[in-house]
Amino acid sequence: MLQFLVRRLLLMFPVLMGILLVTFTITRLVKGSPCYVMLGERATQQACDNFNQRYGLDKSLPEQFVRYMGNIAQGDFGISIKDRRPITTIIAERLPMTFELTILAMLFASTFGVLLGVISALNRNSLIDSLTMVGANMGVSMPVFWLGLLLAYFFALVLKGTPFQLPPSSRLSAGMSLVPLAKIWGLEDLSGVRAFLVALISNSAILNGILTRNFELVFDALKHLILPATAVGTISLSVIARMTRSSLLDVLDQDYIRAARAKGLPYRRVISHHALRNALIPIVTIIGIQTGSLLGGAVLTETIFSLPGVGSRMVEAILGRDYPVVQGFSVVIASVFVLSNLLVDASYAYLDPRIRLK
Amino acid sequence: MKHKSFYMLGVLVLVFSMLLAACAPGGGGEVVPTATKAPVEPTKVPEPTATKEMAAEPTKAPAEPTATSAPLYEGIKLEAPDCEYGGNVKSIEALDEFNVKVTLCNPDPAFLVKIAVPAFAIFDADYIAEIGGDAAKLADNPVGTGPYVVQEWVRGDHITFAPNPNYWGEAPKNTFILKWNKEAAARLLDLQAGNVNGIVEVTADDVPTIQADPSLTLYPRLINTFLYLGINNTKPPFDNQVVRQAFAMAVDKQRIVDDFYAPGSVAATQFVPPGVKPGFTDGYQGTTYDPVKAKQMLEGAGFDFNQEYVLSYAERTRPYFPQPTKIAQAVQAQLAEIGIKIKLEMEEWATYLPAVRAGEKALFFLGWSEDYPDATNWYDVFLTGSSPSFGNAFPEIVERIQKAARLADPVERQKIYDEVNKLYDELVPTIVIAHGTTALAFQASVKNVVLGPYNENFQQMETENGTLVYSQDGEPVSLYCSDETDGSSFRACLQIFDTLYNFKFGSAETQPALAEKCSANTEGTEWTCTLKQDVKFSNGASLDANDVVTSWGTMWDYNHPLRKGNTGVFQYWKDFFGPSALNEPPAQ
Repeated sequence: MLQFLVRRLLLMFPVLMGILLVTFTITRLVKGSPCYVMLGERATQQACDNFNQRYGLDKSLPEQFVRYMGNIAQGDFGISIKDRRPITTIIAERLPMTFELTILAMLFASTFGVLLGVISALNRNSLIDSLTMVGANMGVSMPVFWLGLLLAYFFALVLKGTPFQLPPSSRLSAGMSLVPLAKIWGLEDLSGVRAFLVALISNSAILNGILTRNFELVFDALKHLILPATAVGTISLSVIARMTRSSLLDVLDQDYIRAARAKGLPYRRVISHHALRNALIPIVTIIGIQTGSLLGGAVLTETIFSLPGVGSRMVEAILGRDYPVVQGFSVVIASVFVLSNLLVDASYAYLDPRIRLK
Repeated sequence: MKHKSFYMLGVLVLVFSMLLAACAPGGGGEVVPTATKAPVEPTKVPEPTATKEMAAEPTKAPAEPTATSAPLYEGIKLEAPDCEYGGNVKSIEALDEFNVKVTLCNPDPAFLVKIAVPAFAIFDADYIAEIGGDAAKLADNPVGTGPYVVQEWVRGDHITFAPNPNYWGEAPKNTFILKWNKEAAARLLDLQAGNVNGIVEVTADDVPTIQADPSLTLYPRLINTFLYLGINNTKPPFDNQVVRQAFAMAVDKQRIVDDFYAPGSVAATQFVPPGVKPGFTDGYQGTTYDPVKAKQMLEGAGFDFNQEYVLSYAERTRPYFPQPTKIAQAVQAQLAEIGIKIKLEMEEWATYLPAVRAGEKALFFLGWSEDYPDATNWYDVFLTGSSPSFGNAFPEIVERIQKAARLADPVERQKIYDEVNKLYDELVPTIVIAHGTTALAFQASVKNVVLGPYNENFQQMETENGTLVYSQDGEPVSLYCSDETDGSSFRACLQIFDTLYNFKFGSAETQPALAEKCSANTEGTEWTCTLKQDVKFSNGASLDANDVVTSWGTMWDYNHPLRKGNTGVFQYWKDFFGPSALNEPPAQ
């Protein structure tokens, strides 16, 4: 098992290198200039020539690539062309938001998706089954930005003044702020990976609130995440529900289930201990894939709810030709995706002893 | 097996190149542009020499220690060797602690309105030296003389401004929180939900919703903008003046304004909006909508009605272009009414603008929002042939514009602009369609809202809980506004920095801010500004003339040691006092 994990982690390296090469090449081959995006109607050829020289964009592609890879080898992902801030700082700011949104969305999607899938499978071909599956189809079909706006409208305006009112946008309420943990822990002199990790934790509103015992902050952050997590989790919920139903139905037809029932085991125990566990492999796979794609940034949801996550920053960088940000975030998103798949693969061994033995 | 080996070989090559680059000397870091000329050395004001009266005084060993005289102020002077470098500034000099003189190569009657633009904010010279002029460091701790200081900037979410305890003016009445959301619908939802107190850029579709809601108030903001249909007169058939005139007659500007623009917007009757004076010719109607005549003119000119002509635009909402696709489709339909076949080509902003600037587009939409209230921010920007976008400039227009830019007398300037407006209709360099305005909305409970074309009086607005939350359409790029061009950054900068002059709230009139007064010599080539005394930056440092020289010097001199900023372009200086910065390398 350990050998498997180590081998998979080592294989990440060439994957990330490949992604860097592809991202680097494609972003620079795509037409458009960061100078014109930044200066807008005021851009002139002279200004952009000097701008390109300042950022090394006037050099040949191979030279730019070698320089960039050399910096990466030293742990320097470069600075954003837009605001000259280190890419690692921007990642540390944006990633926690995306993590929080993803975890909440997947908790919502997994819990209710599996539940609905089980209910549907156990009541196969009944009205409950039909309604659940129609609901799942609707969930998959609804555009997330439409659903997001609808949820925001309902909970922010229709329910305004009631205890059920929820904020339609932003990460925190006006006046709420995150305490810089590095400062209060006396870790301002840290650098490198440790500083990055401290910044990651500090920029997570939920972790920050827990560590500083500011539970009002935790509650406020969670309140702001309910609507976006529901909007973005609805699609995943529908997919998980359908997969759970289908997988469980396959398992329920197996001989060992019939044998367990014949032995007199309670029906609930047969489902929870025998059927569901065996049905989990494809469900876990789907959950892993959905989690990985959400960790890449739910752009539309972040835009509608004005959340400072990875997706919105990535799109902004692509449209603004902010090459270092696109490259840096691509590596991060790829890493996160690979790691989440690795976790899924590792979970197979726990769920299915036969896999462990192989 | 072969593929696996090839793959591993590729990875090894990549790793090797990384190691090579990492170990090579100068293998990383930002490329610093090489200077083409030696930097202008700052010169200091000389100390006074001893006078006869002083020398005549008997020298005695003093019985008691005498008070030493205060050290003389070492003012900085930056000076160009001549006026041939391509800009209009000859020198900037700190005459003494509170007086600054700017010497121009040519008179500029718009000098005061130009320096009121947020890009000309005054920074603490010592602090700028400490941070090396780096915008990223400035954003971490901006030091200004404005009504607010930045309490926190949560990237991607909001900026909180707290009242500046050292502010020289009236203390702000609130804590100000600036948020942003690109989607107008989401901003309106925030306002209706009470999440924010005010929002920017209300769309025409949302105006009835706001007007019908008693808890909200709509504030139209009369700004000067224009949307134009750009024509490249080197590309046939638009090299034919009659064709250009006919196109101008074929567009129903009033219908476009009625359908797509906010209340207060007007259809263009001439090049500049009505608010630009001198510039706008009162009573002049210009080209009117006449599709029948337009078609006749095109037929007479041998226009090919079978050909499809490409009209390019970018789907990017701006105050002058509130609904790009719909407006483009409307113009396409109007031209189709007289048989002109138009194919719309929508592009991404990052590719569209360079293509337009390079003169690749025959027909295109673009526009402009005014920086300052003077005709030079219109005619000089578009009609002097500074860009290949429009093809060839018209010498008869250029000559008149350049003459008017140097005159101080508004009556004389207006006479020249009257001629230019008529020539514009005749020669049709572009077709100006609409002068759009914008609208803002606030909760009705917010008191004392005053909006001008260039600012909002956030510091004076009153809310029930003492916190004002405002949502704009984008996050500020940086707080080093000398090197920014976007309104989102300027709005933030206006809260923490000041200029020597600024615009009165609710007006396009300027008033002294950090300066007591700025006055010009009779030729209009020297402007001397006297600073207010006892003005402090938020870090406690006192404002003095060297702060002005340094702040403007970094914008002016390409080789200034503290010129780093954000983009490093400092475009506003070049736009207002250029076209070139001092020591700037020429275009490649």
